[in-house]
Amino acid sequence: MTDLLVEFSRLAPLMVWVAVVLALAMTCAVVLERALFGIQQALSRRVLKRYAPLVQRALERDEVARRELAKSPARHQVAIARLLIEPLVRDRDPARIAEARAIATAMSVPALAGRYLRSWFWWRRALALRALGLIQARDHIAHLVAALDDAHPDVRAAALDALTDLQDPASVPAIVVRLHDTSLHRGRRGAALKALGSRCESLLLELSEVDPTHRLNYSLALAICGTEKSRPVLCRWTRDARVDVRATAFQALGFVGLDEEAARVALQGLKSDDATVRAMAAFALRGWQGPGDAANRLAVHLEDAWAVAVQAARTLQSMGHAGSAVLLACASRPGVAGLLARQMLWQPDLPS
Amino acid sequence: MATGSSKLKTVVPDALIAFSVLITAYFVLWNVSQLAMSPLAAFVLWRHRRRNTERARRLPIDVRLPPLVSIVVPAHNEELTIVESIRALLALDYQPRELVIVNDGSKDGTLALLQRAFQLVAAPVAFERPLASEAVRGIYRSVSEPEIVVVDKVNGGSKADAVNAGINAASGALVLVIDADTVLEADALNRAVLPFLEDPSTVAVGANIGIANGCHIENGRVVDVSLPRSWFARFQIVEYMRSFLLFRLACVSQNALVIISGAFGLFRRDAVIAIGGYDRTAIGEDMDVTVRLQRHFRERGLPIRIEFDPHPLCWTQAPDDWQSMKSQRCRWRRGLLQTLWRYRRMIGNPRFGKVGLGAMPYVAFFEGLGPLLEVGGYLVTIVGAALGLLNWAYFGMMIAVSVFSGVAVTLLAVLLNDVAMRRYMEGRTLALLVAIALLESVGYRQLNSLWGCLGTYQALTGTGGWGSMTRKAFKTES
Repeated sequence: MTDLLVEFSRLAPLMVWVAVVLALAMTCAVVLERALFGIQQALSRRVLKRYAPLVQRALERDEVARRELAKSPARHQVAIARLLIEPLVRDRDPARIAEARAIATAMSVPALAGRYLRSWFWWRRALALRALGLIQARDHIAHLVAALDDAHPDVRAAALDALTDLQDPASVPAIVVRLHDTSLHRGRRGAALKALGSRCESLLLELSEVDPTHRLNYSLALAICGTEKSRPVLCRWTRDARVDVRATAFQALGFVGLDEEAARVALQGLKSDDATVRAMAAFALRGWQGPGDAANRLAVHLEDAWAVAVQAARTLQSMGHAGSAVLLACASRPGVAGLLARQMLWQPDLPS
Repeated sequence: MATGSSKLKTVVPDALIAFSVLITAYFVLWNVSQLAMSPLAAFVLWRHRRRNTERARRLPIDVRLPPLVSIVVPAHNEELTIVESIRALLALDYQPRELVIVNDGSKDGTLALLQRAFQLVAAPVAFERPLASEAVRGIYRSVSEPEIVVVDKVNGGSKADAVNAGINAASGALVLVIDADTVLEADALNRAVLPFLEDPSTVAVGANIGIANGCHIENGRVVDVSLPRSWFARFQIVEYMRSFLLFRLACVSQNALVIISGAFGLFRRDAVIAIGGYDRTAIGEDMDVTVRLQRHFRERGLPIRIEFDPHPLCWTQAPDDWQSMKSQRCRWRRGLLQTLWRYRRMIGNPRFGKVGLGAMPYVAFFEGLGPLLEVGGYLVTIVGAALGLLNWAYFGMMIAVSVFSGVAVTLLAVLLNDVAMRRYMEGRTLALLVAIALLESVGYRQLNSLWGCLGTYQALTGTGGWGSMTRKAFKTES
């Protein structure tokens, strides 16, 4: 055992040296990193001080400022492009976007972005895509669509963001055919559909006819961008063999809005064996004030499974006088039904 | 008798040597593991900085229906900070939200203060009770702020009980569980919601937590970050940096996170309900719930992602007095041991993937055994010195290794922290952080190990309570 200690004792000085060197190396790394950061900050402050007023003037259509920006050295181009383009994330005013695009084009920013798009580094490709989207560079739409198939997921996400910002009808097919592509972020697919709105609807309906296996996704998409045009199809899907498709079709109907036929289908849906379907059927009736005695039929479901009862109560709350009258009548009931009714009469409409 | 005595004379030195070799090996392994984690942590940080752009953070605004987030705030005797905390929560950027404040049988003026500040009235509110909790005495809604719901309940003796009551009353698809004294960054929810919108398998998101002691807080927002005056709080700053930016980021890189801090955890409500909510008997409820989520989803072969935002999304008060700190550390220790014991089946079990083969064994070996080995080492040193068996040169070198490697690891965490948050950036602060890293090894670390042993003793004997921390109003912090 003593031999072991002797062996360790021999190693100990080496370990001390390693530890000391490591501690010194880390101290140097921290100091160096901070120094580099400081230099970088100082440089950006200088660029900001020099170019921020120019960018502002250029956006106010000052031709001298625009010419000066166009003549700026290549090493400052990325920093100027940031000054010009980054505020567009918050400010989506079309006039400002147009001005920014004009200045960026004069500065050859799209050409620079084109070079970045061919870069080996994914973050450069993503940066270029975001910039092109924010300035709505429509002549680069082919590049943006091609980037949806990039090998890197973050580049694909940036391409979707760019297409969302661009809102160009030419990108509709590319976005719609990738509806089921789970390698693209779910939220971003939804955001792109929302941005393009009803322009996606026809293609979605067309594809859904030839691709019934993905009906669930089509229902979810139509919930985002569907109009009354989708209503008959959604009504048909409420009779689908799959429970999740039926439930989502009712949910989509809730967003699309009802007519008399759709309301009749939703009231029929309240009789479903599945609680999720009943809950979504109750949701679909939100705001409905037409025929069908919907309010009284929903009142029965205040005593249903919790998910159904909540949707029924919220729908009653949204139904105007008819809903209020039913809630008032139910308010004196014991148990959850009465409590839900009293809650709906008391509280303002909450976000769904 | 003589034979026994001579045997003892050979066995004791051998045992002491064996133990000292074991401890040395342990320290070397610990430091190597910390250094090995750094490239993984650095990669996660780098990737996060590249991905988490301002454009990406606009996604919750771009989607048609951003998820409703119910912010569950368990409050037990929080009259000093509760109103300001709630006002700060009301000023968060993320809009689809509701605030569920759970008054967990407070004996001070928490409820009365809330009633006055937000014009609470008793309201009829129906909710399902999928999770067990103590009886709810009443539900209040605010007349001035419709998004506020206050659940007044009988004290359940644990944060878990209050959180369960809050989750029951929550109507959001996501629930954010925080502490009553947590100060959130204005864009905390926009950032934390993002992984849920990107990947449907995300069930929880944790975040880096800053220490609010010493910071200047105005209107519930940290406006100026600086180091606190208390050395206890200073030591905890570097400790938090190490914990959040090395181990947790390394775990995140492997999708094997096993702890989301109780001060900030955003969960999918259905996932928490699926595992039966927070365990009311768990001492370390935050680790318990995270490990249970991992177990539940992995056992069933369901996809699970637990994300972590290295940007500090919230700030919390660290205990800066001896007694509060001691009770907190003992409680953490008991919680850790309880969780390790409860989920011991997961340790080394390939069925749980990298959680079973990586994260859990690491926690068990380094965090479970660490304090015991360290205190054992000190005892061996004392016994060795008393028996005249201590090799002083070797001892001195080991102390030097321990101090310098500790400093190296701490500075590595400081470096990562710089990249993650760009706070504590003044030159003077850096010098102070280096000094803290050096001094931490002398006294603070030993104290922590002692409390770890005390916590272990409490865990074995079933003693020790929740303890209490002397809260300070935010205004007096700066």
